[in-house]
Amino acid sequence: MTPPHNPFIQADGKKPTCMEMLQVIIDGEASSEQQEYFKNHMNRCLPCFKSYDLDMAIKRLLKTKCCGGDAPTDLVDQIKMQISQNSPG
Amino acid sequence: MEETLIRNNYSEKEKNDIFNGEFLPHINSMYNFGFRLTLDRDDAKDLVQDTYLKAYRFIESFQKGTNAKAWLFRILKNSFINDYRKKTKEPSKVDYQEVETYYNSEDVNRQITPDLRVESLKDMIGDEISNALNSLDVDFRTVIILCDLEGFKYEEMAKILDIPIGTVRSRLHRARNLLKEKLSEYAKSMGYKNTEL
Repeated sequence: MTPPHNPFIQADGKKPTCMEMLQVIIDGEASSEQQEYFKNHMNRCLPCFKSYDLDMAIKRLLKTKCCGGDAPTDLVDQIKMQISQNSPG
Repeated sequence: MEETLIRNNYSEKEKNDIFNGEFLPHINSMYNFGFRLTLDRDDAKDLVQDTYLKAYRFIESFQKGTNAKAWLFRILKNSFINDYRKKTKEPSKVDYQEVETYYNSEDVNRQITPDLRVESLKDMIGDEISNALNSLDVDFRTVIILCDLEGFKYEEMAKILDIPIGTVRSRLHRARNLLKEKLSEYAKSMGYKNTEL
């Protein structure tokens, strides 16, 4: 039986590593064909299965813990003031 | 990056509409990016202010309705490299040749941090992940900010950073491995001893 076509293979024919495929998946850059292929692959590949959960957890943690904090309240006013001072007329 | 030099002749009202409607809504993301790059709140403020002034000055090269956030991030990144980095004389420590060589080697599929587990992340409060991110070299830190914090696509990141998409992928891969190393140090210090992934 021939193995299923790997849609991650690039035009140059280079076979992707597990980590390369995983990265494309977790970053939401995979096509639906690639997602389907990786889902089947993950069921047979324990490192990918475990790495997927870990990588997604880190990505979520970064988004929730490192994005906070608004810009200082006076920043917009300062920018607008600078622009009006520099504008001709 | 290939530049398309288009100048739009906007009226003063159009300029202000673009500035207020398309540029200013990104002020919080811009400030966070500035802070994550400089690691200093005052410097971040200066950098963001400088970026917005430049954005206004060059507003005619921005095509209304296109990706303002990516355009602004690119200006901020360039200001950081050309002005802030020169001023503070922070040397670039990353040897990209080494990064590329690493990525193309057999080592790329090896798990660098086999002792980091999802469970250990659950006990981490904001400080650990934030400190781990801030401790990365600025070029590695940048790709994680753009991808994981701000949700830019590889293609957008390539344009913001003026590098090929392949380099975006390899730098991101290396950055994440370094981040995992830092996080696993925290996990160990928190008493997680299980070395199985």
